[in-house]
Amino acid sequence: MMEDTDPDLSPSPSDQNSSSPSLSVCSSPSLSLPSTPSSSSCPAPGPAPSGTPPLGVISEGPGELSLVIDAEVAQRACQEVLQKVRMNQTEVEVDVGGSQNGAGPEPALSVTIVKPAQIQIREVEDDPGSVKSARRRQRHNPSKQSWLLRLFESKLFDVSMAISYLHNSKEPGVQAYIGNRLFSFPHDDVDFYLPQLLNMYIHMDEDVGDAIKPYVVHRCRQSISFSLQCAWLLGAYSSDMHISTQRHSRGTKLRKLILSDELKPAGARARRDPLALTPFCPAVSGSGEHGLSPSKRTHQRSKSDATVSISLSSNLKRTASNPKVESSQDEPVRLAPQREFIKSLMGIGKRLATLPTKEQKTQRLISELSLLNHKLPARVWLPTAAFDHHVVRVPHTQAVVLNSKDKAPYLIYVEVLECENFETSSVPIRIPENRIRSTRSVENLPDCGMTAEQRAGSFSTVPNYDNDDEAWSVDDIGELQVELPELHTNSCDNISQFSVDSITSLESKEPVFIAAGDIRRRLSEQLAQTPTTFKRDPEDPSAVALKEPWEEKVRRIREGSPYGHLPNWRLLSVIVKCGDDLRQELLAFQVLQQLQSIWEQERVPLWIKPYKILVLSADSGMIEPVVNAVSLHQVKKHSQLSLLDYFLQEHGSPTTEAFLSAQRNFVQSCAGYSLICYLLQVKDRHNGNILLDAEGHIIHIDFGFILSSSPKNLGFETSAFKLTTEFVDVMGGPDGDMFNYYKMLMLQGLIAARKHMDRVLQIVEIMQQGSQLPCFHGSSTMRGLKERFHMSLTEEQLQLLVDQLVDGSMRSLTTKLYDGFQYLTNGIM
Amino acid sequence: MSQVEKRAGLLRRTSSSKKPLKEKVVLMYDEIFKEDPAKNNPRFWDELFLMKVNLEYLESKLESVDGEEVQRIQDNINSLFHHCVQALGEEHQIKVVNALQTLCALFRGVHQKNKSASGFDIINMLMGFDKAEQRMKDLMERLDSLLCGDGSESLKSLCLKLLLCLVTVTDNISQNTILEYVMINSIFEAILQILSDVSSRGQHGYDAVVLLALLVNYRKYESVNPYIVKLSIVDDEPTLDGMGMVVHQALTEYNRQYKDKEEENQGGFFSTLTSMVGSMFIADADEKLSVQTNEAILLALYEAVHLNRNFITVLAQVHVYFSLLWFYLCVCCTVMNNPELPLDPNLQTSNLLITFLKYASIVMQDTKDEHRLNSARLCLIILTCIAEDQYADAFLHDDNMNFRVNLHRMPMRHRKKAVDKNIPSRPLVCAVLDLMVEFIVTHMMKDFPMDLYLRCVQIIHKLLCYQKKCRIRLHYTWRELWSALINLLKFLLSNETTLLAKHNIFHLALLVVNLFNMFITYGDTFLPTSNSYDELYYEIVRMHQVFDNLYCMVLRVSTNTGQWKEAASKVTHALVNVRAIINHFNPKIESYAAVNHISQLSEEQVLEVVRSNYDTLTLKLQDGLDQFERYSEQPKEAAFFKELVRSISLNVRKNVSLNTLSQDVLLKEFSTIS
Repeated sequence: MMEDTDPDLSPSPSDQNSSSPSLSVCSSPSLSLPSTPSSSSCPAPGPAPSGTPPLGVISEGPGELSLVIDAEVAQRACQEVLQKVRMNQTEVEVDVGGSQNGAGPEPALSVTIVKPAQIQIREVEDDPGSVKSARRRQRHNPSKQSWLLRLFESKLFDVSMAISYLHNSKEPGVQAYIGNRLFSFPHDDVDFYLPQLLNMYIHMDEDVGDAIKPYVVHRCRQSISFSLQCAWLLGAYSSDMHISTQRHSRGTKLRKLILSDELKPAGARARRDPLALTPFCPAVSGSGEHGLSPSKRTHQRSKSDATVSISLSSNLKRTASNPKVESSQDEPVRLAPQREFIKSLMGIGKRLATLPTKEQKTQRLISELSLLNHKLPARVWLPTAAFDHHVVRVPHTQAVVLNSKDKAPYLIYVEVLECENFETSSVPIRIPENRIRSTRSVENLPDCGMTAEQRAGSFSTVPNYDNDDEAWSVDDIGELQVELPELHTNSCDNISQFSVDSITSLESKEPVFIAAGDIRRRLSEQLAQTPTTFKRDPEDPSAVALKEPWEEKVRRIREGSPYGHLPNWRLLSVIVKCGDDLRQELLAFQVLQQLQSIWEQERVPLWIKPYKILVLSADSGMIEPVVNAVSLHQVKKHSQLSLLDYFLQEHGSPTTEAFLSAQRNFVQSCAGYSLICYLLQVKDRHNGNILLDAEGHIIHIDFGFILSSSPKNLGFETSAFKLTTEFVDVMGGPDGDMFNYYKMLMLQGLIAARKHMDRVLQIVEIMQQGSQLPCFHGSSTMRGLKERFHMSLTEEQLQLLVDQLVDGSMRSLTTKLYDGFQYLTNGIM
Repeated sequence: MSQVEKRAGLLRRTSSSKKPLKEKVVLMYDEIFKEDPAKNNPRFWDELFLMKVNLEYLESKLESVDGEEVQRIQDNINSLFHHCVQALGEEHQIKVVNALQTLCALFRGVHQKNKSASGFDIINMLMGFDKAEQRMKDLMERLDSLLCGDGSESLKSLCLKLLLCLVTVTDNISQNTILEYVMINSIFEAILQILSDVSSRGQHGYDAVVLLALLVNYRKYESVNPYIVKLSIVDDEPTLDGMGMVVHQALTEYNRQYKDKEEENQGGFFSTLTSMVGSMFIADADEKLSVQTNEAILLALYEAVHLNRNFITVLAQVHVYFSLLWFYLCVCCTVMNNPELPLDPNLQTSNLLITFLKYASIVMQDTKDEHRLNSARLCLIILTCIAEDQYADAFLHDDNMNFRVNLHRMPMRHRKKAVDKNIPSRPLVCAVLDLMVEFIVTHMMKDFPMDLYLRCVQIIHKLLCYQKKCRIRLHYTWRELWSALINLLKFLLSNETTLLAKHNIFHLALLVVNLFNMFITYGDTFLPTSNSYDELYYEIVRMHQVFDNLYCMVLRVSTNTGQWKEAASKVTHALVNVRAIINHFNPKIESYAAVNHISQLSEEQVLEVVRSNYDTLTLKLQDGLDQFERYSEQPKEAAFFKELVRSISLNVRKNVSLNTLSQDVLLKEFSTIS
C-alpha cells in the first residue's frame, strides 16, 4: 500500500545535481578519474602551491555519476601522479601496468623493502617537529623517495601510516596520492580515523583538504550513516573556529553539501524504496501482520481478514486526506528520518533539564518516549550499534534518568530488528503495543478486534455465527493458565509447579494437604533466591536499572515487546547526552581502542573497555553504555560494604573459582586503566566515574578531564592514577601475588604501548589542530604525553618507574582528599 | 393551534391587530402544511433555505398535525426532508445550516407527535417508505462529507448536533428505527477522523465521543451493530489517543469542578465549625458537593475499554499537554528546527487512568442518588475490565511507572482527613487497591450497596490472581486490606437479619474469605516480605472472633433448611484453613503468655510465636482459588446498560438545546464569506 506513493515525489534535486557543477573540485571536463597523466595538466581551482606542478585530483565532475570509482583505478592514478613527483627517479622500475591490484612488487622484493621502509617511518615520525627537514631529505634524496613509494605500495602500508603521512607530509603530491590511496583501504579501518580525517579537512591547508574530499564525498554517496557521521563531526569540529570564518569554512560547506542530501548514490534515481518517502512516520499497519504471524485458526482468520480490511480501507481513506502525514516532503528524504530521530532525542534531553526533581524527570522522560514510539518503526538506527538494524520500539518504561547535577543525561533501551542493510531493507511493519500476547499464547492475535468481540459476547446470539462458536469462545482464563506457568517454569525452580497442582487437583477427589511451614519457607527462600538488587530510590533511579543483569533485562523486555517474537529482535541501549561536549570522550575512546589493539597485538592481557561515542555536535552526543556495570559509588551506597566484602558477597569466598576469576579480571582491568589514567592524565577519578561490572572488571568512564585539563584546577589528584587501599585489598593486599601481577602487567603494557607510541600520539596530535578543547590547553600537551611513554628508559628503569607510580598512588593523600571533596560537594561516596 | 399562533406572533404581541404579522419563513412553513408549495412557486425550496429557521414553530406545527392531516401532507413533509438533504450539498453555507436545523426540527417534531407510533410509521411520514433508504443514504453521505471536509467548524458542530438529536430522539435508543439506516451508512470513520485530528478534537471531540457511545448501544444485544465491530478493531493510535484525550479532559474538568466546590465549602467549613458540631454538617456538605456526573463520557470510556483492546494502551498514555502538542508539531513540520515550547515544570503529569481513579474516588464517595450510584457501578465495571486485561495489569504493576495519585477520601467523623500531600510515588495498582479499600471501609451502611461490594472484592481478587501468576511482589501495605475485609465480615455478621432480607450475604462472605485463602495458600508467590506472611497470621489470630462468629453463623444457616443452605455451606468449607490457623495458634499463644506470665502479648511476641509454630500446622489446598469468572456484559449487565443508556439519552437530548443550534454565530461567520 505504501508503494502507491505518488511517483511525482521522487526528489528532483538528484536530477539537478547531475548537471550541477558545484561539486567538482576540478573544473576539468574530464569524465572520470584522471586515468592518464594528462589530468595533471588540469589546474586545481584554489591557489596552487608554488613550486610543484599542479596536480589533478579526482574530479567530481558531472560524468562521475555514471562511473563508479574503482579503487584500482584510483590507485593507478596515484601511482602515475607519484611518478611525476619522482621526476628523475630511475632506479627502481615500477611496473605501472602490472601492480593494479595494489600489492607491491613480487614478494621476494617486498621483504627487502620492508625494513628500510620502516626505518624511514621512524625517521619521519620520530621527528615530527622537523617535518621540513625530513621532507628536505626526501626531496634531496631520490632513493629515499623511491623507498617512500615502495612503502606506500607495500602491504604494510596501513591506514594509520596513511593518516600519519597525510598529516606530516607537506608534499601535495604525497597528500594527493594518499587521498587516492584511501579508496583502497577497508571502510572500517578508515572509519576509525574519520575524526582525524575530517579535522584535517577542516583545519589544515587546502591541499590536504583537496586530497581528502573526494574520498569523503565518495563514501557519503554510498552510505547514509557515513554521511550523517561526517556531517555531525564536521559540525562539531568546526565549532571552535571563529564564528565569522566558520560560516565560510570548508568544513561548513561540506557539511551543508552533505546535509542538503545532494550526495546521492550515483545512478540511483532515488526511488529505491518508496517507504523512505514518508520520513519517520509509522507504516500503516494492516494485512502485513498476517504475514508476520500467520494464524493457525482458520475460523478466526477468515473472519478477521474481512474486518481488518474494513479498518484498513477506512484507514487509507482517512490518512490520504490527513494533513499531518504528508508534511515534510521538502526535507531531503534520505537523511531526514534519522536526523529527526536524533533531534527528538536531543529535544527530550533539553526539556528534561528544565525539570527540578529526578522523579519529574523520569516521568517526563517516560511520557516523551512513549510519544516517540508512535513514530516507530522507521528507517532510523542507533549509530553506536555494531550491526545494521531498524529501530522498532523504545520500551519507554525502562528508560532512566542518570545522575547528573544540572544536565539531564538519560539512558534508553532500544528494541531493534537486525537487517541486512538498513538503507535498503524494508522498514518493519508496526505492531501495536498490546499485541504482546500474540507472541505467547495459542490465541493468535492479528485479529485482536475479534477477541474483543467475543468478550462483548454480542455475537454468540447471532445465528449466523453459530458454527464458529467453538472457535470464538476461547477461554481467556484457560489461556492465562496455559501461558503463565510456562512463563515461569523457565525462570524459577520446580517450586512454582505448585500453582499448576491446584488446577489439576480438580480431578482428583482426594484433598491435598500442605504444610504452612512450607509456604513460609518457600516465601523466604524465593525472596533470598532473587538476585541481589538495589532498592528503588527515586533519587537514583539508574542504580536499579543498571544493576539488573543485561541478559535478564533483555529477556524481560523481549517478553513484554510486541516485536519480541521476531528472530532478528535485539536490544540495544544508549545514553543520550545533551549539553555535554563529547569530543574529548571520542578522543579518549580512540586512544583506548588503539591501546587495546596494541596490547592485543603484543599479547599483553590487559583489559580495558572502550565504549563507543557518537559526537553529534559540540554539545551533544550519545554514548554506548557499558552493560552489566554499576558505579563504585552506587555499589558502596546500596550495599554499604567495602569493595572486598562486596566482591565476597557477589562472587563467593576467596578460594572459590568465581572469586578468583573476578579478582583476576579486577587486576587486569585495574592495570589497564592505571596505565591509561597515567598516559592520558585522566582526572576527576571519583567513585561515580568508575564502574564495576558483573565479572569484576573496573571500567573508567567520563574522560572529561584528560591531558592538560583538570577539574576546577584545584590541583587535587596529583597521583598518577587512582589506587585506593580498597582496590589493593581486593587484589589481596600489597604483598600478594596478584598485586605483583598487577605491577607486572603494567610494565608489560607500558613497554607494548611504548613500542607503538606513534599510533597513539598521532591520534591526539591531529585532533589538536584548531581545537579549543580544554585537554589541549597550554603548549606542552603533546610533549607531556610523549614524555610519559619514556622512550629513553631501559626496561629496568621502566620497572622502577612503574613501582614508583604505584607506590605514589597508593600513598597518595590526594586521592583520599579528592574522594572526600567529591563526597562533600556532590554526595558521591 | 392558538398556541402555535402565539408563538409565531411573538414579535407583535403588543399589537392589537387580529392577524399578527408573521415571519416569512413561518408563512412558508404554513404553506408546506397546506399543499404542494412548489406548485405556485417553483423556487420555493431555494427560498426556504435562505430563511432563518424557526425551529420552535416548525416543531410545534409538526406536533399539532393530527392523524388524518398526516396522510394529506405526508408528501409535503417527505418533500421537505428530501430538499433538506439536497440542500446539504449546496455550496451556499447558509442553506446548509438552515437545512441542518430544519432536519433537526423534523426529527424532533415527528417523534414528539408520534411517541407511541412504530418506527416504520415515523420513517414513512418523514421520508416515505420506498424512498427512505435512498434518502438516508444521501443524508449520511452528506453529513460524512461535511464532517470530514475542510468546511467551517461550526458547520461540523451542527452536523454532530443533528446526529445527536437523531440518536436521542427516542427514550430507548433501540426503538429508534431510523438508526437502522445509520448502521448501514456508517459515519464511524467520520467520527474517528474528528478524534484523530487535534484541532477538530478540541472542538467536537466531546460530541463525537458521546455520539459514538450511543451508537454503539443501538440494539447492542439483538443484532450485529457495525459500530461495535468497528470500534473493537480500531488500532490507529492517534485516533485512540484522541478518544482518550477527550475522556481525559472531561473527567479532569469534573475533578476540577469538584475540587473547586470542595474548597468553596472548606471556607464555609471553618465558619460553621464554630457554630455547629456533628453530622448534620457533613450531610449538608455532601449535598453541595454533588457535581453533575457525566455518565455519557463514562459510558464512552467503558465501551472503549471493553470493546477495544488497543485502547488499554491509551489508559497508560501519559498526557502532558504541551508534549503532545510538541509531538504533532514534530510530525507536521519536521523541518522546524527547534520546537522550543514554553515549559511549566510544575505541570503534573497525569494519564487517563489516574484521572479516572480520581474521578472514581469522588463518585464513589456518595452513592445515594441514582446517577451517582450508576456512575459508581460503571466505574467499578470499567475497573473490572481493566483488572482482567493482561496488558493493563502489566502496566498497573510496572515498577518503573510510579505515580502519585491523590484519591479523594470521604470526610468521616472517626478519622481525620488524611494529609495527602506526601503520598509516595508507587505503581498504579496501589492506587487501585487503595480505592477499593477506601470503598470497603466507607460504605458499610444500612442501604447496603451489595452489587458494588461484590464488584469491588472481585477486582481485588483479579489483581491478586495476576500477581500470583506473574509472581509480582507488590510492596503494598496489605494489612490495610486485611483489616478492611475483616471489618466488612464483621458488618455482615452484625447486620445479618436486615441484610439477608435483600441480599445473599453468603456470596460476598465467600469471596472475602477466599481472598484470605489466596493469601494463606499462595502468599509465597506474591507477598513482598516473609514478615508479611507472619503479619497475615497475626491479623487473623488477632481478629479470630470475627471468623469464629462467621463460622457459627454459616454453620447454623447451612444446617437449617432454607434458601441459603447451599451458599452458607460453601462458606463453611472455605473457612477451613482460617479456622485451622486460629485453632493452631491460639492455644500456642495462650500457653506462651502463661509460661512467660504476660497478660497482654505485644505484636512482636505474637509474631514470634507464629514464626516458631508454622511447622506443625497443616493446611488444606482449596480448588479454584485463583480462578475467576470473566466479566461479560450479557446477560448480567444488559438491564443496567439499557437503563443507563436511556438516562444518558434523556440527558443528551436535553442538552442538545436549541441554543446550541442557534444561528447567530453561524450567520456571523458566513456573512463574511457570502
